[in-house]
Amino acid sequence: MNERERRERATAQTWAWVRWAAARIALLTLVLGLGIVALVMVTEGPRWYPASPVRARLSVAEALGGVPATGFARALTPQPFTFPRDHGPHPDFRTEWWYWTGNLLAPSGRHFGFQLTFFRAALAPGAPRRESDWATSQVYLAHFALTDTRSERFRSWSRTSRGALGLAGATAEPFRVWLGDWEARSEGAATFPLRLHAGDEDVSVDLWLDGGKPPVAQGDAGLSRKGPEPGNASYYYSFTRMPARGVVRVRGERLDVEGLAWMDREWSTSALGKDLAGWDWFALQLEDGRDLMFYQLRRQDGGAAEWSAGVLVDAKGTAHPLGARDVRVESRGTWRSPRSNVAYPAGWRLTGAGLTLELEPRLADQEMDVSPRYWEGAVKVRGFEGSRPVLGSGYVELVGYGERRLGAKR
Amino acid sequence: MSAGLWRASLRHLARRPGQIGLSVLGIALGVAVALAVGLATGSARRAFELATEAVTGRATHQIVGGPTGLSEDVYRMLRLDLGVQRAAPVVALDVAAPDHPGRVFQLLGVDPFAEAPFRPHFGSDDPLGTVAALVTRPGAIVMSGPTARALGLAPGATLTIRVAGARHPLTLVGTVEPADPLSTQALESVLVTDIATAQELAGNKGRLSRIDLIIGFRPADRALLERIRRALPPGVELARAGAQAEATASMTAAFTLNLRALSLLALVVGMFLIYNTMTFSVVQRRALLGTLRALGVTRGEVFTLVTVEALALGAVGTLLGIGLGLALAQGLLHLVTRTINDLYFALSVREVWLTPGAVLEAAGLGLGTTVLAALAPAREATGIRPREALVRSRLEAASRRAAPRAALAGLALGAVGVLALVPRGPVWGFVGLFAILMGAALMTPLAVAVLLRALDRPIARAGGLLGRMAARAITAAPSRTGVAIAALMIAVSATIGVGVMIASFREAVLRWLEGTLRADVYVAPPSLVGSRPDATLDPALVQRLATAPGVAAAGTARGVTVASARGPVHVVAIGMAAGHAPGFAFKRGRPEAVWPQVDKGAVIVSEPFAYRRHVGVGDRVRLRTREGEQAFPIAGIFYDYGSSAGVVMMSRATYERHWADRGVSSLALYAAPGVDLERLIAELRARAAAGPVPADVLIRSNRALREASLAIFDRTFAVTRVLRFLIVVVAFVGVLSALMALALERVRELGLQRALGLTPGQVWGVITAQTGLMGLVAGLLAIPVGVLLAGVLVFVINRRSFGWTMPIDVHPAILLQGLLLAVAAALLAGAVPAARMARASPVEALRDE
Repeated sequence: MNERERRERATAQTWAWVRWAAARIALLTLVLGLGIVALVMVTEGPRWYPASPVRARLSVAEALGGVPATGFARALTPQPFTFPRDHGPHPDFRTEWWYWTGNLLAPSGRHFGFQLTFFRAALAPGAPRRESDWATSQVYLAHFALTDTRSERFRSWSRTSRGALGLAGATAEPFRVWLGDWEARSEGAATFPLRLHAGDEDVSVDLWLDGGKPPVAQGDAGLSRKGPEPGNASYYYSFTRMPARGVVRVRGERLDVEGLAWMDREWSTSALGKDLAGWDWFALQLEDGRDLMFYQLRRQDGGAAEWSAGVLVDAKGTAHPLGARDVRVESRGTWRSPRSNVAYPAGWRLTGAGLTLELEPRLADQEMDVSPRYWEGAVKVRGFEGSRPVLGSGYVELVGYGERRLGAKR
Repeated sequence: MSAGLWRASLRHLARRPGQIGLSVLGIALGVAVALAVGLATGSARRAFELATEAVTGRATHQIVGGPTGLSEDVYRMLRLDLGVQRAAPVVALDVAAPDHPGRVFQLLGVDPFAEAPFRPHFGSDDPLGTVAALVTRPGAIVMSGPTARALGLAPGATLTIRVAGARHPLTLVGTVEPADPLSTQALESVLVTDIATAQELAGNKGRLSRIDLIIGFRPADRALLERIRRALPPGVELARAGAQAEATASMTAAFTLNLRALSLLALVVGMFLIYNTMTFSVVQRRALLGTLRALGVTRGEVFTLVTVEALALGAVGTLLGIGLGLALAQGLLHLVTRTINDLYFALSVREVWLTPGAVLEAAGLGLGTTVLAALAPAREATGIRPREALVRSRLEAASRRAAPRAALAGLALGAVGVLALVPRGPVWGFVGLFAILMGAALMTPLAVAVLLRALDRPIARAGGLLGRMAARAITAAPSRTGVAIAALMIAVSATIGVGVMIASFREAVLRWLEGTLRADVYVAPPSLVGSRPDATLDPALVQRLATAPGVAAAGTARGVTVASARGPVHVVAIGMAAGHAPGFAFKRGRPEAVWPQVDKGAVIVSEPFAYRRHVGVGDRVRLRTREGEQAFPIAGIFYDYGSSAGVVMMSRATYERHWADRGVSSLALYAAPGVDLERLIAELRARAAAGPVPADVLIRSNRALREASLAIFDRTFAVTRVLRFLIVVVAFVGVLSALMALALERVRELGLQRALGLTPGQVWGVITAQTGLMGLVAGLLAIPVGVLLAGVLVFVINRRSFGWTMPIDVHPAILLQGLLLAVAAALLAGAVPAARMARASPVEALRDE
């Protein structure tokens, strides 16, 4: 073995050791790293959080939340309506709404259904005396929906605002109820014609409504009882046939429309009796000039409550009250919402007042995507009075399916 | 490599548990300090981001106004005229909870009905159920459930807050229950009220702090953005959400960097420790290593042996250090938060936010420094030639010869360090600082030799033969003593440097306060945090106090935060008291020239402001006013140590003209000649309490305010002091370890001396003298290095980090303190081995080895 060989062997040996050492150090570092991670995991538990937005839930003490019915006025006895005063708000009552639905046709025959509703909810009785203009106990909610039958599209929106600072509110003279830029207002000094405006995204509705037939006081001269206890009632009147014309804008299209609208006005503090789950409400406008309204209150067990009622308004505008036994409502099928998985009845047969009417939803899916959810949709009416065919259109509202008992809605 | 080699290594380490333990402890402390500072500053930053997230929510844009916010008409216009849906009004204010000292909250007044798209955690779709109480009850609040429980508040309980010097009882009506720990921290110090309550508390009827918007990226959204921008009145602007928060957060970057750098100093000292330990273990095993080499073990194997040994020590130390650092971080977090509160913005952090990154970084630092420190001893070990192994004196001779070369390298490194100071930016400042420090360490052995030669005669006169023995023992073994002295020198110079820097700063602040505070009595609402005036005084109260008998003149100040294109600017408007010029010291501009310009609408800016924004006299500051953006000429630059972010100061008239705000944040009252201050203050306090609502204001004499300001200053530097202390602890451990090893090395030699007739007392004396001498030498060397360090900190780092300049003020007391620290640490470190060796019987000592 000469000098060079020895040196080469030594060099090779050194490199071998360096490689060995590098491997050892890498291994040691790895073990150590894992050890540290394990140690921290053990001592710190699940505190390795990723960056994520704040997630939390508002929880209000039961005793402090909610709105008790005490301190509000109750619908106890019939009170003759005074207009235009009663078109305005009744803040002494807890809940109130202005409700417009209608079936509209474009000159081409294209059908639209619309709903525009303003709800007023009082969070506490009385008006607060406070420094800030934001202070209020009145909250307004509004729902807007458009059924585009030909495109088979139904879209709905909801808005909420406090009734302060001019952001939302209602006045009787001149009549106006609004929430943000959605509103219904008298164009002139008289209540009618009314101008309705609502819209969101690429959908909007601008309508002018005339009064049409005189207002109908529902129930007992306007006192609509919905339960056995005194005060389980609301004040309720309707304009059942309002000639409507205006413009519908949908997805870049602008269409002149004409048709008939329906207006419901109702205010109450504690309308529904305790055992009631919800209601099915029918508002139908027949081509012979008659209008039929019927609501069927449903008990928790699913049966129809004895407090169900309605009205038949003849072509001249005379109202004929209907009792729970005067109209039979049969559901012809069900539709299950893909969004909420709630099953609603779909299609009905109404029998009563000499009429047999088949109601068919213009679209199956007219479920309001709001909270709480409900179904409110345009229907086509076909039927008979004796052997004479009857045609018409209308709106149906289905409330209390698959949801908890309602507070804000009817 | 054979298992036998490893066993030999293990046996060697096991025989010296004390020494090994100390160096493990040293590295552990270094890692702990670095990790703790990293975690504390990281947590503070994270908490700020989270708090921002909690209150900004998903907003993409914000509409902001001036110091008094914007009119709520803007919101109404957005909703009604433009039909903007995703807009939420916000009234935000910082409040203190006087019943829970130290707690500050951000009170967020929102409209719950507009909240859902923004902060779903505060909003509700079901107004009748959950938010009725919040909206209809005046003073109702909702807060994070964990915070409420921590404060002992159940729903229905009262929480008193202080706003603008008045106390308001609020009722807790509900809690926000966070779903995860992150949300818990985000919501920790947020109080949510209805916007009406917030306006009433702020006394700001009709005004909003801002309007949050969510606007997407579609063309329609951009068009909307443009329509909104066009519709806004002057002085109100549309900004990207979070832009202000980012600017605010970035102000703390320099502060964080300073802390991190100081913490690394502790690790550097720890590194010396490992170096020292490994050098020793190599020196001690010369014989063994030489024998091994003679038996055919290669250089590579020896190198690996030493490196792996060091790595093992480093690993254990790092693990310990991570555990220790987690504990330490909690304590530091508190101090860091307080400093941020005093210097920058209100922040509440309760929990250390642990990130894998921070832990890995600490582990990397610990292991990295260990390996780095072990490289030299490992190389040295490979250099042992089989034949020379047993001749130890050769090593010492080589070490002595190496001393001048090391000194030369140190000089070069120091020069590099000085060069590194030239570029701007605090990072380069720290690079330079560390280079200078390491350079000084390299020069230490030569300096020790020179110093000891110079001291030879005095030592001989004082200590006789034994004294000389002690001194010679140091120079005889430079490989062992040199490193120990360098480590001690580094640590002591760091404490001297930081100490001199703090003292210089304090002196500058003291002088500044004396110059600035010229009035006799100061009135201010208790501010939430630190020294920043943010609340306002009741105008009626201002009138009552300014017209009190005995008050000759009154000046006012109003501090607000104003938006600018380059982030928020702190603006102070001063109403000068008649006949009393404000006592500003100008860095640029002469007072007699500056004040007339200020009267005409010019502004003066503080030194940090000028530094940060690169502006000087003659330049203009652009601020967002009631009429939109306006440019204000700068008439002068004044010294100010109150705010690191910088201040723009203007006359009251200028401020009112541009912002239409009549609020007063504080009042400066000048007593009429001959009025007794004590009685004047009593009278003012009586007047403050006499109003319809008893005012919760601080009325303080000039002296009391000065003391309070200094107390805040001291609080701000508490975290720096703690770091200084931790560096000392690490250094102390290092000295203990080094000297113990040294003493153990000398057992044989001392056994011989005992056998030659030295009494145990004399042996004790020799060892004590030797360690004491090493401490003294280290302390003496640390003085110039420490002063140099202080110079870099004061003139380079502080200026670049905070924009402050100040004269350096070297107190002899601090230098003496450093010297005493070094000597005391050395003596204490020498005490144990000295006592042990003095007791040991000479026979046993000789039999050893």
